[in-house]
Amino acid sequence: MKDSPFKMVLVLTIITTISALILAFVYAGTKDQIAEAYRQDFLKGLKVVLPGFENAPDTEFKEMKGYKVYIGKKGGEVFGYAVRAVSPKGYSGDIAVLVGVDTKGDILGIQILKHAETPGLGNKIEFKEWRDTFVGLDKSDNIAVKKDNGIIDEFSGATISPRAVCEAVNTGLDILSRFTVGGEK
Amino acid sequence: MKLKTFTSGIFENNPVMKQVLGLCPALAVTTSAINGIAMGLATTAVLIGSNTVVSLVNNLIPTKVRIPSYIVIIASFVTVVDLVMNAYVHDLHKVLGLFIPLIVVNCVVLGRAESFASKNGLLESLTDAFGTGFGFTLALFVLGAVREVLGNGSVMGFDLFGSGFKPSIVMILPPGAFIALGFLMVGYKYLDERKRVKRGGV
Amino acid sequence: MELFLIFVGAVFVNNLVLARFLGICPFFGVSKKVDTAIGMSLAVTFVMAVAGIITWIVQYAVLDKFGLQFLQTIVFILVIASLVQFVEMVIEKTSPDLYQSLGIFLPLITTNCAILGAAIINIQSGFGFVEMLVFTMGSALGFGLALVLFAGIRERIDLSDIPYYFRGMPIAFITAGILALAFMGFSGLV
Repeated sequence: MKDSPFKMVLVLTIITTISALILAFVYAGTKDQIAEAYRQDFLKGLKVVLPGFENAPDTEFKEMKGYKVYIGKKGGEVFGYAVRAVSPKGYSGDIAVLVGVDTKGDILGIQILKHAETPGLGNKIEFKEWRDTFVGLDKSDNIAVKKDNGIIDEFSGATISPRAVCEAVNTGLDILSRFTVGGEK
Repeated sequence: MKLKTFTSGIFENNPVMKQVLGLCPALAVTTSAINGIAMGLATTAVLIGSNTVVSLVNNLIPTKVRIPSYIVIIASFVTVVDLVMNAYVHDLHKVLGLFIPLIVVNCVVLGRAESFASKNGLLESLTDAFGTGFGFTLALFVLGAVREVLGNGSVMGFDLFGSGFKPSIVMILPPGAFIALGFLMVGYKYLDERKRVKRGGV
Repeated sequence: MELFLIFVGAVFVNNLVLARFLGICPFFGVSKKVDTAIGMSLAVTFVMAVAGIITWIVQYAVLDKFGLQFLQTIVFILVIASLVQFVEMVIEKTSPDLYQSLGIFLPLITTNCAILGAAIINIQSGFGFVEMLVFTMGSALGFGLALVLFAGIRERIDLSDIPYYFRGMPIAFITAGILALAFMGFSGLV
């Protein structure tokens, strides 16, 4: 058999078609699992900022100025709210932070959802010990790094990343204050 | 003969150290030993798939469209690996990110399909895929481990030196990848030559 | 301003080769001489720009529309492979001179992960058309810059007396590491 152009096109078409079919099959088989994995990932973050919720906060939310405010419930009672806030001022790109507060507006926890900060320096914002210093603070506290006369520790050699996190947290608190007692209505 | 096919990919013709192929993932994801292993295994899975299929269908493919056909076959396996990893080992998938689709252009995979699987039978090609994949994984693991020890003071996530150790962060930053691989290659070259001298060769 | 930041970011801060580890194979493979490095950079720039435009259009006009995102890898690599083949044929027919200088690099470009990598980053970052163009040109320029600088250094290295076991690839890697270290000085610019 000679390699006629017709045969070349035919072979390539057949291979591509078979590939596409197999892929469509695999895709259909994994699609739900992938969606579930993304959801679990997000729920993991929500567990940090709304500890002990018994509902599914990722499906129970209110829209507010384009933000989704997730509602945490325990025993049927609302006990906290969470929101995803982004600061573009990271050292390398956006930092996305999930902020959760109780009904009084005190921070229950924060979680870093997305960042591209330098490993070993800026990425310390992921550390639990550091994130926990936010717990219990509220909107009236001066949430900023010490270099900016705030109360949050920066890291030696890395001020920009924690500063961006503080900014995101403040943005988040602003949104959430519309839901909490004592905040502006 | 069979054993030779398997072992050659591990040390003698190690894809990273000797053939200097597949460098992008080798450098990019090896910030820790576990990432290195994961990337190595993902690549091995693709290698096994593509070598198998290529060795089976090779006779049906006209020479002129060989490379495009191989690329389509490889890309299909890469996508399968990508989807499956995303579904079942989501956290690892997040770390390896962009570099999973880029297995398509990993010269190791295309290289083995083109230079080995297209000329050999199924069993030989499978053996070759396992050997090359293992060698690739090993290289990535060693590189990842070295960088993790020096840059983070840990291996596979276990702290080695306690809090007194000041890691040199540069090793897990991009420059550290080049430098670590450079020095590993010096070591490889030394071992390789020693081995050859022992055998009485040049 | 935004566009300028994307451009500077792509050239210096997130340099394709030295920070993102894309296109490493040609980076080491064709960096022995400055001349070939320049030829390779030009070929990459051209293919990257055209591939960027086509893949961007394909993604939004076809894949997204029909929910076929999972075919992204396979479609993109096919686009790039056929594009390279096509460009090679056109250059060969129209300009033998250009073919002489660029031709040998073209087949290598299909397996240059910088092209596919940049195309995927374009989509993942959600760039609009103009942003995509700016990012692609910046990336290509960053690739060329790193490649030509590195080739210049390697020409010098060839003349120096290097310990036996460091000769060839090992010293090249260590040099690249130092170059990457220098480029890290740009981080935080954007």
